[in-house]
Amino acid sequence: MRLTLKIWRQAGPNVAGRLVVYAADHVSPDMSFLEMLDVVNEGLIKKGEDAIAFDSDCREGICGMCGLVVNGIPHGPDRGTTVCQLHMRRFKDGDTITIEPWRAKAFPVVKDLVVDRSAFDRIIAAGGYVSVNCGGAPDGNAIPISKDVSELAMDSAACIGCGACVAACKNASAHLFMSAKISHLALLPQGQVERARRVVQMVTQADAEGFGSCSNEGECEAVCPKEIPISNIARMTREYLRAVVRI
Amino acid sequence: MPSRPRSLDSSIGTKLLVGFTGFLLFLYLILHIGGNVMVFLGPDTFNGYSDLLLSNPLIIPIEIGLVMIFLVHIYKTVAMTLDNRRARPVKYARKKSAGAPSRKSVASSTMIVSGLWLLLFIVIHVRTFKFGPEYETASGVRDLYRLEMENFSDPITVVFYLISMLVVGSHLWHGASSALQSLGIDSQTWTPRILLSGKVAAVLIAGGFIVITVWAFSQGART
Repeated sequence: MRLTLKIWRQAGPNVAGRLVVYAADHVSPDMSFLEMLDVVNEGLIKKGEDAIAFDSDCREGICGMCGLVVNGIPHGPDRGTTVCQLHMRRFKDGDTITIEPWRAKAFPVVKDLVVDRSAFDRIIAAGGYVSVNCGGAPDGNAIPISKDVSELAMDSAACIGCGACVAACKNASAHLFMSAKISHLALLPQGQVERARRVVQMVTQADAEGFGSCSNEGECEAVCPKEIPISNIARMTREYLRAVVRI
Repeated sequence: MPSRPRSLDSSIGTKLLVGFTGFLLFLYLILHIGGNVMVFLGPDTFNGYSDLLLSNPLIIPIEIGLVMIFLVHIYKTVAMTLDNRRARPVKYARKKSAGAPSRKSVASSTMIVSGLWLLLFIVIHVRTFKFGPEYETASGVRDLYRLEMENFSDPITVVFYLISMLVVGSHLWHGASSALQSLGIDSQTWTPRILLSGKVAAVLIAGGFIVITVWAFSQGART
């Protein structure tokens, strides 16, 4: 396959970036999207040029490290996958592919396609934890939790914190990310101690980071590699109301 | 931890206020069209109904309440839109909707535009009808039927109203169901029903007003 790539190149956080056109020849349809970029980078390095910076780690779709906006869609056209699990067979010979970083005020570009997502860490640090000492792994049936509730909590806990929800949202809102953690902990007995405090502190932190609000469009759900639904956002609103009444 | 009034300034507080005021305005529109369809029953019924409203001592506090709801909705949505724009200072060179299950539509992407159009429309609409010429019927009540027929005999007014009603429909297409989602109302059973009902309501309300406008114009054309 021969492809034309339009890739966002930005030398550093405070300099202007631009889309640069690269030709990618010899692309195998069996390559993953990131392997294709690896090959492009090897070509650039051979020519003595600066390699394209992008984040990745496990390349198994479970770590949340990678994330590129491929042709206008975070993580690319496939549903429920990270960009490392997107394969080149999804594209046609001769295609032009635009590759951009997550764009949000709260996710400043570090270099090229790498953004600083530490705003997410600060949101989690503000309340996405359980401070009671749970000891070692408890007996499976020691705390009674019904199957449906534990499934719901697990679905929310599946968030890998990649930030695609923010990248897809027209408001660059972190509501889906926050609501996943808030739902996960609010549904389980271990999360009850900080339940009210957690939602207020996490929302306050997200607002301070410069993320936007939510318009209920659900683009976040559509790009989420873990397919976390926006029903979590509605639950977060209920949790917030409950917390504000109790403060 | 923030105090209660500050909580309404947060991104969720904003959603709650916009959703709550938006839903009240949606309910008001249902009452509004319910009253307006009485125009088909003739001038006596229509003027009788409007007199029933105008002579009610509660109408002033209700009107003040309605204005307050509008002001909160407008202020909060404009402020939120500006904040949201600031949240993405560098735009994407290429951006595409990811498709289902996203609810993104032309309507949802243009809420601030349709909203500002409606603000302009409402100012003109209130000036035309509420603060318009005070015709009186033989029985001494305000003749709103005549005022309506007069206004809708003018093709320019009719076209402006028809466009505005399409804009109302667009605003409600996303807004009616989104308001409930903003209030945290959601369940596997109810959300699909709410989404569908919101769209049906948008079509019925906008369609209803369009039918009334076209009918009034055709009445004028006949005489």
